Amino acid sequence: MRPSSLVDSSSERGLPLSASLSRRALRAVAVISVMALGVAACGSSSKKSSSSSSGSGNTSGSSGSVTLNGSGSTFQKNFNEAVIAAYKSKAPNVTINYAGGGSGKGKTDLQTMTVDFAGTDSLIKTEDVGKYQGGKVLYFPTVAAPITVSYNVSGLNSLKLSPETLAAIFSGTITKWNDSQIAADNPGETLPSTNIVIVHRADASGTTNNFTKYLSQAGGSSWKLGTPGDSLTTWPSSSQAGQGNAGVAQIVSQTNGAVGYVDYSDAVAANLKFASIKNKSGSFIAPTVEAAEAAVAGSTIAEDLTYSPLNAPGGTAYPITSPTWIILYQKQTSKSKGQALKDFITYVLGDGQSLANQAKYAALPASLQQKAQAQLSQIQIPTS
Amino acid sequence: MTITSPPATPDDATSILRRSISTRRRVKNGLATAWMIGSLLILLVPLLAIVLYVIRKGAHVMSWSFLTKDIPIVSQFPGGGMYPAIAGTIVITGTAALLAIPLGVLAAIYLNEYGKQHRVARVIRFMADVMTGVPSIVMGLFIATIWVSSGLHLGYSGLAGALALACLMLPIVIRSSEEMLKLVPDDLRQASDALGARRWRTILSVALPAALPGIVSGAMLAVARAAGETAPLLFTIGVIRTANWNVLHGTNTALSQEIWSNAQTPFPAQLNRAWGAALTLIAIVFVCTVIARVVASRFTIARQ
Amino acid sequence: MTITAPPAGAGARQQKRRLGDVWSDRVFRAVALAAGLLVLLILGLITWVMLSKAWSAFKYQGPSFVTSQHWDPNSNSFGAFAYIFGTLVSSAIALVIAVPLSLGIALFVTELAGKRLRTLVTYVIDLLAAIPSVVYGFWALAVFTKPVQTFYTHVADTIGKMPLLSRLFGGPASGASFMTAGLILAVMITPIVTSLSRETLLTVPQEDKNAALAMGATRLEMLRVAVFPRVRSGLIAAFMLGLGRAMGETIAVALVIGSSAQVTSHLFRTGDTMASNIAHNFGEAIDLHRSALIGLGVVLFGITIIVNVIARVIISRSNRSLWEVVR
Repeated sequence: MRPSSLVDSSSERGLPLSASLSRRALRAVAVISVMALGVAACGSSSKKSSSSSSGSGNTSGSSGSVTLNGSGSTFQKNFNEAVIAAYKSKAPNVTINYAGGGSGKGKTDLQTMTVDFAGTDSLIKTEDVGKYQGGKVLYFPTVAAPITVSYNVSGLNSLKLSPETLAAIFSGTITKWNDSQIAADNPGETLPSTNIVIVHRADASGTTNNFTKYLSQAGGSSWKLGTPGDSLTTWPSSSQAGQGNAGVAQIVSQTNGAVGYVDYSDAVAANLKFASIKNKSGSFIAPTVEAAEAAVAGSTIAEDLTYSPLNAPGGTAYPITSPTWIILYQKQTSKSKGQALKDFITYVLGDGQSLANQAKYAALPASLQQKAQAQLSQIQIPTS
Repeated sequence: MTITSPPATPDDATSILRRSISTRRRVKNGLATAWMIGSLLILLVPLLAIVLYVIRKGAHVMSWSFLTKDIPIVSQFPGGGMYPAIAGTIVITGTAALLAIPLGVLAAIYLNEYGKQHRVARVIRFMADVMTGVPSIVMGLFIATIWVSSGLHLGYSGLAGALALACLMLPIVIRSSEEMLKLVPDDLRQASDALGARRWRTILSVALPAALPGIVSGAMLAVARAAGETAPLLFTIGVIRTANWNVLHGTNTALSQEIWSNAQTPFPAQLNRAWGAALTLIAIVFVCTVIARVVASRFTIARQ
Repeated sequence: MTITAPPAGAGARQQKRRLGDVWSDRVFRAVALAAGLLVLLILGLITWVMLSKAWSAFKYQGPSFVTSQHWDPNSNSFGAFAYIFGTLVSSAIALVIAVPLSLGIALFVTELAGKRLRTLVTYVIDLLAAIPSVVYGFWALAVFTKPVQTFYTHVADTIGKMPLLSRLFGGPASGASFMTAGLILAVMITPIVTSLSRETLLTVPQEDKNAALAMGATRLEMLRVAVFPRVRSGLIAAFMLGLGRAMGETIAVALVIGSSAQVTSHLFRTGDTMASNIAHNFGEAIDLHRSALIGLGVVLFGITIIVNVIARVIISRSNRSLWEVVR
């Protein structure tokens, strides 16, 4: 394919200009390229920060600057950002980059040691444990939050849903907002006849995992889409997908008739309306930080600090509460990075917890917080 | 009836003949003309809509601080800027240009000065054409597989992104440079040859400078294309909130990538920054394109 | 001007130089050749690396990789048909819209426009080509999808009720859909198809066109008689190159197609393409899923290469001068 514009002007105008002018141009190009090379080289020599792969640790001492890279769950992204911003004043020489990208991405990046820590809302599958090149992985619970069922339907200002109805909606069995099953959950409400547009995730997501797990557990036979997981693809045909929790929030906010699952913090920031979901005890609970705390309080914590607050017992518990963890290798490979990471997690589990509520997350209950802080000592940092 | 003199121009002819053309033919011709003009007008609609909208929304956020401030750590906070993305676009595209342009020009020199129509040259030419059609995401996948996630643990870096962009630019630079070299008349080369210059000397001192404006123009167009690409960068450069001018170490970001991630959120702060980034990116790309055109037209003189 | 004889003894040296035997010439030629071979090397590497990384998915799934619609990373099932379908359908829509548009503009530039207008239009086309894909996608997502959905609903309620057309244009309509992706793609490939068409049209000598006009043809008739028959293969090649470009387009499509794969004739419904799936998911995929996504890349690579090669073969088969131009 030829650059037509060039040929046109050239064929119309033919001969090139004098060699001296072109030589000047050549020199200019050479100078610019040398300058560009110089900038790149300067950049590499002035920055003492360590490379992005945690394998090649740059031991510039505790006074040098350290960069920690993390990726993963977008569910915890807003909390992570708040904590990272606050931590900057505590440890100004530590730069922390959290890339988001979904729980799947975080787990993959941690496996290949492309990042130092990962955020995830779903557990590592047993068959994947061996793929983590750095050895044993530790789960550090940081916060919990409701997964909201956010909707945007003109004419609908409040919505109550039982898990069976919810499962039927997302399975595609119910297609209009004025369906009898939805009406049964909302006695006295006039429901519009708009078509339902389901919004789900385009990328692999721990939020999807938890949401679909809830629907299959609590929805029973109304759930038609098979095994829950990070990347469900059997969604009904009138659905749309967004990238990350924010992407789902965006599609819901601009599509009439849409309903999607979005983490509480993003849903609030996007001014979405949420449905109240019927919990195990039979009460319709709206997603709030307190309701999430109640759900976490009612869950059983495993030895490795994993737990599931989905469909938790308790009168005030919000049934679709999602846990979330920061995962990292027990055996750190770099002294400076390992120490910086440990200090950061200590902050997250300590003073950082006070930032949770404002960021629209539920802080850990005291017992879980203590267990997590106790696990910090298991992190092994090399002595040199 | 006598016809006094033949019509001077085709226009006169058509105006005379129009009176004798059947309505059906005239209508058909009119429809065709309407189609031609209409197509242009139809195309102008999205162009104007997009450019004007980006300018309007981007201008809201645009300011010196937007161009020089870092991306806020808490994404939903308003303010901040796209400086890290600008730095990333410049340094990554620049590195890609440094890689692709010299190699591309050298390859074009081979094709036009040495290989010409021989088998190897024909194969290279064909493959370069084919390579211009390779989707940019495939280039990104390629580099992500052999560089970023390979056993070498090189990880994300600006250089990885630059490699992917260079693969994209290379065939474009080769083809446009070859066209420019072809336009240089052979007399110049023969004159140099007659004066006793070596072949390579002829190429470097006579052919290349003569074709240089066109080559620079083609290279600028390739750079403009590369600066706007997103897919090759998604799996190769990672993310960062502060400027990283070091293309060899550490994650980086770029204007195109920032627009991609911020566009898929409903938050005004992120969307505003995305519009600002879009305006900046369009400005960069337009400037490169305009420079390319100006260089091409200014530095060549009319044939006598 | 007198030409003096070359100094004695220089004959042998001149001969040596002419044969390109001097080492500096050889080195330079070798370096230039190496740069050219780099193209082959890179293309070969891409093919080999992608194929080898995709192999485990291909082997696992077998031929059903391209025939099955069931793509489910959770259960390790990778049938890519829905994504291939999405790529082909969105590109086809783009082509159907872009072809008449581009041809019309190309004809406008070659037949109707004066010198000034021609340069202006070429500038405009260049600018359109320069707008990055992500900006197209962002604008479409933020501004275009909502009003266009209203438009689709109108269409669905009118044309979409007719017997055959209801299969294509029936409701319910979604702003993010095959059709929207096709529309955006059409705008994106029009510049390329226009400039290639224009160059093809320019190969027809003005004399032939004048001859037709002199015989009393209207402009349309002149085109049909003197121009179209000669440029048919060039135009087809231009259209195919546009098609290849549309199929490879990732970002704009990923933002407006709805990212929810399905095989359906309804153009106003959401879908997904191979490139869009890769863009959304590659960052976090592992093992078989990752291999399957690279496999999608291989299929995409293969399809676009085939389309490109066919386009260039069409040109080279016909007129030699056309080959020179559209290459």
